Amino acid sequence: MPKVKVNDRVVEVPPGTSAMDAIFHAGYDVPLFCAERHLSPTGSCRMCLVKAGAPRKGPDGEWITDESGEVKIFWFPKLMASCTLAVSDGMVIDTLSDEVRHAQSGMVELTLANHPLDCPTCDKGGACDLQDRAYEYGLDRKFYTRPDGEPVYTRYAFTKRHVDKHHPLSEFIILDRERCIHCKRCVRYFEEIPGDQVLDFIERGVHTFIGTADEGLPSGFSGNITDICPVGALLDRVARFRGRNWEFEQTASVDPSDASGQNIWIDARSGRLERIRTRENPEVNDLWISDAARFGHEWVNEDRLTQPMVRKGGSLEPATWEEALAAMRQGLEGVDKKRVGIVLPGDATIEEGMAAAELSKVLGSDFLDFEGRTGVPASNYPAATFADLLEADYILAVGDPTEELPIAHVWIHKRLRGVKMPPRLNHGTPIADLSIREHTPPDRSLLGAFAPHTTRVMEWAEASGVFEPGHAAAFFAAFEAALAGREPTEVPGVDPVAIKRAAERWQKAEKRVFLIGAEVLGDVQAAQLAERLAKSQGAGVLVMTPAANARGLEAMGVWPTGDRKGPRAVFIAAESAPMKILEGTEFRVFHATHLSPMVARYADVVLPAKTAYEKRGTFLSAENRLLALQPAHVEAGEAEGLVQALHLFGTALGLNPAIRFVRQAQQRFAERYKIDLNRLDAYGTLWRPRVSHAPRPMPMEGNLYLRPSMWKARHRRGPTVQRALGVLELATHPETALAEGLDEGATLEVETPEGPQRVRVVFDAALPKGWFYLPAGVPAGRMPFKALVPRGGEAS
Amino acid sequence: MGFFDDKQEWLAEVFAQYPADRRRSALMPLLRRVQQDEGYVDFERMKEIAELVGTTATEVAGVMSFYSYYQGLPTGKYHIQVCRTLSCKLAGSDELWHTLTERLGILPGEVTEDGRFSLQAVECLGSCHTGPVIQINDEPYVERVTKARLEALLEGLEQDKPLEEVRRTLPDEEKMGKATIELEGEGGAS
Ligand code: SF4
Ligand code: FES
Ligand code: FES
Repeated sequence: MPKVKVNDRVVEVPPGTSAMDAIFHAGYDVPLFCAERHLSPTGSCRMCLVKAGAPRKGPDGEWITDESGEVKIFWFPKLMASCTLAVSDGMVIDTLSDEVRHAQSGMVELTLANHPLDCPTCDKGGACDLQDRAYEYGLDRKFYTRPDGEPVYTRYAFTKRHVDKHHPLSEFIILDRERCIHCKRCVRYFEEIPGDQVLDFIERGVHTFIGTADEGLPSGFSGNITDICPVGALLDRVARFRGRNWEFEQTASVDPSDASGQNIWIDARSGRLERIRTRENPEVNDLWISDAARFGHEWVNEDRLTQPMVRKGGSLEPATWEEALAAMRQGLEGVDKKRVGIVLPGDATIEEGMAAAELSKVLGSDFLDFEGRTGVPASNYPAATFADLLEADYILAVGDPTEELPIAHVWIHKRLRGVKMPPRLNHGTPIADLSIREHTPPDRSLLGAFAPHTTRVMEWAEASGVFEPGHAAAFFAAFEAALAGREPTEVPGVDPVAIKRAAERWQKAEKRVFLIGAEVLGDVQAAQLAERLAKSQGAGVLVMTPAANARGLEAMGVWPTGDRKGPRAVFIAAESAPMKILEGTEFRVFHATHLSPMVARYADVVLPAKTAYEKRGTFLSAENRLLALQPAHVEAGEAEGLVQALHLFGTALGLNPAIRFVRQAQQRFAERYKIDLNRLDAYGTLWRPRVSHAPRPMPMEGNLYLRPSMWKARHRRGPTVQRALGVLELATHPETALAEGLDEGATLEVETPEGPQRVRVVFDAALPKGWFYLPAGVPAGRMPFKALVPRGGEAS
Repeated sequence: MGFFDDKQEWLAEVFAQYPADRRRSALMPLLRRVQQDEGYVDFERMKEIAELVGTTATEVAGVMSFYSYYQGLPTGKYHIQVCRTLSCKLAGSDELWHTLTERLGILPGEVTEDGRFSLQAVECLGSCHTGPVIQINDEPYVERVTKARLEALLEGLEQDKPLEEVRRTLPDEEKMGKATIELEGEGGAS
């Protein structure tokens, strides 16, 4: 490994390391604006200038020496941008001399020349790279004295450039072009990370600005640019003007909207959740989170249930916890304990799952379920991690990674671009990783993508196909046939050539990773074929469950068993529940954050709940990684956690449930599995529990296909999210639409699991005929298509 | 109908020049074709090109705006490009620009009512020693554009005389050396 001398310290770094990373690795600092972890270094800001030199070998192969016999250092004739300079053995780097400091302060001065200096009203203030460096390098003594004796601290005496200051790029992001320092991080990010080139430099030279021709930044990952913009040019509009950086209470937690396990910072202020930012975890989400995870939090602050409610004479009335307990006692009086059901939300923690399972066991009930459960347990499959994707020789996605497991989209793109797992240096991920290149097209031969609808990753796949919903099993049968060298059996909608191609690539690959989504998991036959395939072929599987903590809950024993007569009384902590349970039970206790139409209609008792952002607990993510949730301080009155609510429910049933606090569940977990949930590894602990639950199919009927979406029903209650998503698109094959008398662009209302919704008809000839597709806010599934407005809709 | 719908063969030829996974490289030839045939590249065309080369309209806009050659708005029959960089500025391009805008009554992005003229300020055309320099469409430069020469130029074009002829018959200015006229052809070819 090359040895490099940084000032007075000698360090060894892997070949190909940038001088910048060698400097940080050695424990020194160098200012930077444009270099960023996981992005290609471009050397565009020139802030990281250092003095560098290296020895040379003479024709005899020996190091050239100077008069005194020392190895001679040949200094580069000019200062070098350390982020684009690769180290070589014996390199000497100087970051401290006056020459270097002077050049760097000159760069700060130039960068500031046209900067508006509006830090007092800038949301980035206090967390701004430029501000920090301005403090560091700025003139601390007066530069000159005006004739009237006033000291002057700048020598920029001209008018500043004035350009667009409040330019909304989308509902989520606002751009201030005066603050932009043209580092190009945002542009490189879009191209290199999600692969959606929706932002670019427009014009050139001094006129250059950041802009888009794709309205609303169509990408599921746009928010990350607000984290990486080194100045306050790109800001989160949802959190705009909600607080200064030093006023937020920052809580390190995990996003509860999907099973990726995205690490987040929750920023709360005065009891309100104001902002969500990414938290670096190089094994899970690098520096990136999905837009749903970042912007989908507005619902947390609005209209929260802050005290229990009890149904009195037909209407729900506010009550105290004592009154709620009394009402539960009364309602549950004489109910057969075996027929008391519990439905958890998909983002219930492991601790909560354990409490529910224990209670259910004491009850002797067999009805314990969670929202977003799949037909077969997700834990049945040989697990894979995101890092496995980077090493895969072939990736087969059956489903929609972008929507179902958003971070998988980012890792798949990394793999196709040939990005390697970066080395860990003393300061963590390399800041300027010279092995990452700009403009690397994805290698399409590495990906096969099949789904019951078109997906974003299909654009990167050499072999792809859209099969008719309900035919996932047929797809796997055909794929198996192709693997066995036979002609693939028919899969409605898919070209057999694509299946053969995918099978060929699969066979040649040594390391295979497989992603399966809701469509496969809901179909027991398909799910079992997929399992057989994965096991017989030694492939790892990323199971894209709709529930954030499906694996954790399965491991705790949350799974329905026994007969299907259904419960008589039920405790529902989920946001949606099957009609059969809502209608078929006599007494219903809801543990809810909001008084949703479902709660208002069916609840006998409502207990106010905490959201996942306010919980302490643990998730087991899609990678089978244990990740810790920490509670942010959000004001929600008397809201309580699920463990406490379940305990109270148990008490009302005359029991004395053993788990009353999260900590008790964690103790039991430590005893049972020898893992201390309070001391997980920094990037999460991999844990692969053994689970054996019998398949339990989910009902799947109807021709309205609720396709998975990263935007869940609760996200959509936020006003900004609503504006951004606009009228939902009802996608369908043109012939199907015309048969129903629907024109392209027509708007109409359709019945959905979240109630009637306004939708706009869009045609997509790649979709199978006879189906309507709507992005679902609830776990994907299907229902009968029912238009509520006279056929034909209204012209838009 | 798309611009390239009836140019499939031409497209195939262009794409054949680049590796299959680098279709994006064909962005420039496609832009150029639209610019040449239509005089400007509108948003619909940008989207069409994006689709063809497999990128977004944003990237097409980024590339397009980098080059002053590409126009986003319709141009006149004679698209007058006035150099505004230092040498020409010293030689009087500011006055030239004022005279032009006033004489024609248009600003960049506009076209004269008769559809003849449009205007654009561009950076150094590489003929600094003969400033102020003007280029009309893709034709050879018009150099040392004094007021008198400008007037003659516009008059000639208003009568729809061939540009080459107008250019060659502009009045000589005292300051103008013979050598420059001979050089004109070369300068324009760059
Ligand atoms: S907007 Fe921010 S990230 Fe993008 S180029 Fe400007 S300063 Fe850099
Ligand atoms: S040039 Fe920007 S960080 Fe090196
Ligand atoms: S400055 Fe006008 S041609 Fe160079």
